Amino acid sequence: MEFAKLCSIFAAGLAMGLGAIGSAVGEGFIAMKAVQTMSRQPGSAGKIVRVMLIGQAVTETAAIFALVVSLILMFQDVTGDFVKGFTFIAAGIAIGFGTIGSGFGAGLPGGAACEGIGKQPENADVLTINMLIGQAVSQTATIFSLTIALILIMLEPRSGIVKICSILGAGCAIGFGAIGPGIGDGIVARNANLAIGKDPANMGLLTRTMLIGQAVTETTDIYSMVVSLILIFVI
Amino acid sequence: MEGITGQELIKALALLAAGIAMGFGAIGPGIGEGFAAGKACESLGKRPDEANLITRTMLIGQAVSETTGIYSLVVALILIFVV
Repeated sequence: MEFAKLCSIFAAGLAMGLGAIGSAVGEGFIAMKAVQTMSRQPGSAGKIVRVMLIGQAVTETAAIFALVVSLILMFQDVTGDFVKGFTFIAAGIAIGFGTIGSGFGAGLPGGAACEGIGKQPENADVLTINMLIGQAVSQTATIFSLTIALILIMLEPRSGIVKICSILGAGCAIGFGAIGPGIGDGIVARNANLAIGKDPANMGLLTRTMLIGQAVTETTDIYSMVVSLILIFVI
Repeated sequence: MEGITGQELIKALALLAAGIAMGFGAIGPGIGEGFAAGKACESLGKRPDEANLITRTMLIGQAVSETTGIYSLVVALILIFVV
């Protein structure tokens, strides 16, 4: 088997194995909070289960991105030389590590929504809306990783040790760089959702502040993406 | 892969280091800024009339947390373009 195909299959395992971590932990967190809340408020069980399932479905997106990249890496026809193999490994690192933060981060507001519904079941709609906004923003980190991973898979690199290292560097930059902002965005959304659960009258103010806070948290991920793109296209 | 000069090897490893510097460097600021904004949201829920003060302090706190991320970016750019 040629080297590029070997790398492609190895990267598929890397992408899905690492990519499953974050989403699984995040979904477990939502379920944990849902069960805790239900034990206190068994009457609201129906609403809690509904929000739990919606929240878990959105949390799953990060792992689905990893699955898509993994399937592409497994079944594509690989033509390329020695250097092409390293683009696949870099893509696997980018999407594998890149999904950890967003998967876990998206779980945090889901847990807060379940807690809030336990306290005041009539707030279910407001909490679900804010949960979905917060989760969507915390997915951006993974979407950046997905973009870079797809660019890397389609890249036709020139040969040489310099290009190999720049490609691996690009994968590391966006892969590890997406962990922090993904979790950070989730923490912001969680606290905003907890506050809305206590007093839904402040929802406008809290959602606005949440989005500002998440936008600032996202900046380091944007730096990582810029460094990745420089390493891919400029070097 | 034969015939790699020392100069090429230095350049190659500098580029790999740039990626690692920016990647790991972004983890801390991301989580830290999330904490700052999260606690700001919590406080806003309790005292919505102090929104201006809380938002201002949140942004200052996040800007300071951001500095290490900017250091990583600067180091990465130096490793890419200067080394």
